[in-house]
Amino acid sequence: MKLRSWFLVPAWFWLAALFAAPFAIILSYSFLSRGVYGGIELPWTWESYTRLFDPLYLGIFLHSAILAAGATLLCLLLAFPAALFISRTRRHKYLYLQLVMLPFWTSFLVRTYAWLFLLRDTGLINTALQAVGITHSPLPLLYNNGAVLLGLVYGYLPFMVLPIYATLERLDPTLLEAAADLGARPWAALFRVVVPLSRPGIAAGCILVFIPCLGAYLTPDLLGGGRIVLVGNLVQNQFTTSRDWPFGSAVSLVLMALVTLALWRYLRRQGEILV
Amino acid sequence: MNRRTFLLGAPGLAACGSARRPRLNVYNWSAYVAPDTIPSFEAEFGVRVRYATYESNEEMLAKVLTGNSGWDVVVPTHNRLEPMSAYGLLAPLRHDWLPHLANLAPQFQAPAWDPQLRWGVPYMWSATGIVYNRSIMPPLTRWADLWDVRLKGRLTMLDDPEDMLGACLKKLGLPFNTTSPQDLRRAEHEALVQKPLLRAYLNAEVRDQLVAGDVLAAQLWSTTAQQAIDSAAQLAFAYPAEGFPLYCDCAVVLRESRRQRLAHQFLDYLLRAPVSAAVAQYTSTATANGAAQSLLPATVRDNPTLYPPPQIIRRGEWPRTNPPAVQRLIDRIWTEIKAASV
Repeated sequence: MKLRSWFLVPAWFWLAALFAAPFAIILSYSFLSRGVYGGIELPWTWESYTRLFDPLYLGIFLHSAILAAGATLLCLLLAFPAALFISRTRRHKYLYLQLVMLPFWTSFLVRTYAWLFLLRDTGLINTALQAVGITHSPLPLLYNNGAVLLGLVYGYLPFMVLPIYATLERLDPTLLEAAADLGARPWAALFRVVVPLSRPGIAAGCILVFIPCLGAYLTPDLLGGGRIVLVGNLVQNQFTTSRDWPFGSAVSLVLMALVTLALWRYLRRQGEILV
Repeated sequence: MNRRTFLLGAPGLAACGSARRPRLNVYNWSAYVAPDTIPSFEAEFGVRVRYATYESNEEMLAKVLTGNSGWDVVVPTHNRLEPMSAYGLLAPLRHDWLPHLANLAPQFQAPAWDPQLRWGVPYMWSATGIVYNRSIMPPLTRWADLWDVRLKGRLTMLDDPEDMLGACLKKLGLPFNTTSPQDLRRAEHEALVQKPLLRAYLNAEVRDQLVAGDVLAAQLWSTTAQQAIDSAAQLAFAYPAEGFPLYCDCAVVLRESRRQRLAHQFLDYLLRAPVSAAVAQYTSTATANGAAQSLLPATVRDNPTLYPPPQIIRRGEWPRTNPPAVQRLIDRIWTEIKAASV
């Protein structure tokens, strides 16, 4: 073995111990039977997978996909102008980038809890709205799809800003001059030159936002108040209150398979992989 | 003493140091001991205690089910004792090592779930009821009152299938421990009717919103309700007229424990009246220890939320663990309720 390949040993070890082994465990759990009080038992069975084709669970998958897609779209609409601004600005560029990453300095759980205090009836937003007389009774801001969407957008926005910024940063400014010389107005240049050229960044951002949103369980649990069940909550419940580890494993594997399939198709179309 | 004999003695000296003191591993619910409970035990018995906490029975069971979790003492809820003993996880209690067992209150000397106290020592108990704002007139007294449209948007139920469906069953006059699918489907219908009125399904998190006045009524555990009432005098607790579930957490010794004697000593230490009274007072929880109860200040002892009179307790029911088929139906019903759009 060449010396160079030894450098990969830690990475291979990491992959084997922290990805392949847990994956194999989940895979085998998903084909076992549930233990009466949690855990797993023989015999081997397909049952956890056949149960998934129930309209109840398909509906939960669909609801999760719609919310995740909505969050991705909103993130894109918010992140693109911000990324464009940061890439075009000369002064304080690194300050703005730091500000995008600032939320990562505290835990996601704490930040989501903070939203509870902002959105609740006696929270900051409702108190302020009533103080200035815009509303007379508290708005139901918490515990609905909107609150979950807000939490997801808030949580994953930086993952959209950073990749788009990275592609815009590399964009050759002379292309914009050429567009202007050829008679393109600024908006036309934006949509016919800048947006198409930043597609790799947009795609990367969408992948980075959509996938974690699809499996989110903390945000829907806290901001949805248990009235909303997404796939992440379904998986979590199987390992806690429902004590059905095989079904929980099957749900998480199917989610993973769907995401992998979608990514693979996308990357193949982009010509990034040849498999 | 020359140097050699000194060196011979050194390992013996080291054995007296802290590293060789026997260690007891205790896994308990969070906020379930007083600050000095564990240090005093360590000092008196010359041992070390590795103490960690959990938030749900499932969290504890997930570790203990393996049979080599490394814990000696855990504190499951009463209805987990039967499955845990069926799985061979529990060591039978040795009553000759538990001289303070007589301190238990009469109703916990021979409880329905473990009449001979073979598996667990009752520790603390609680019930599920209704906590409500006194501004609601008339005061809430029944589960059925939680279907009142006047509470729309200001009402929460527990995020727990057993308790939530239990309230629906009791509203219908059905037993909490039913195994009949028809009964459970009727309870589901009640839950779906109620869902549009609900603000959320919340557990202990509802406490702050009750105190702030956002939530006017909530299904809640008596212990958590008492904490809310302590910080907001406008709140009150009701033991629903139709009946309600009672829960008792019991200290057990795991079969895997290699320190059975020490584990029993710890259980017996917890049974001492002053120790148990300190825990009950510090954690604002109802103790199953009768001798400890009499040491509590009268204001605590007569607190109607923590220690309701016997005629109220008689309406309570001790939940049993459901058979797998029923459990699976409850899971499904619960997912249906949670996924229902309103």
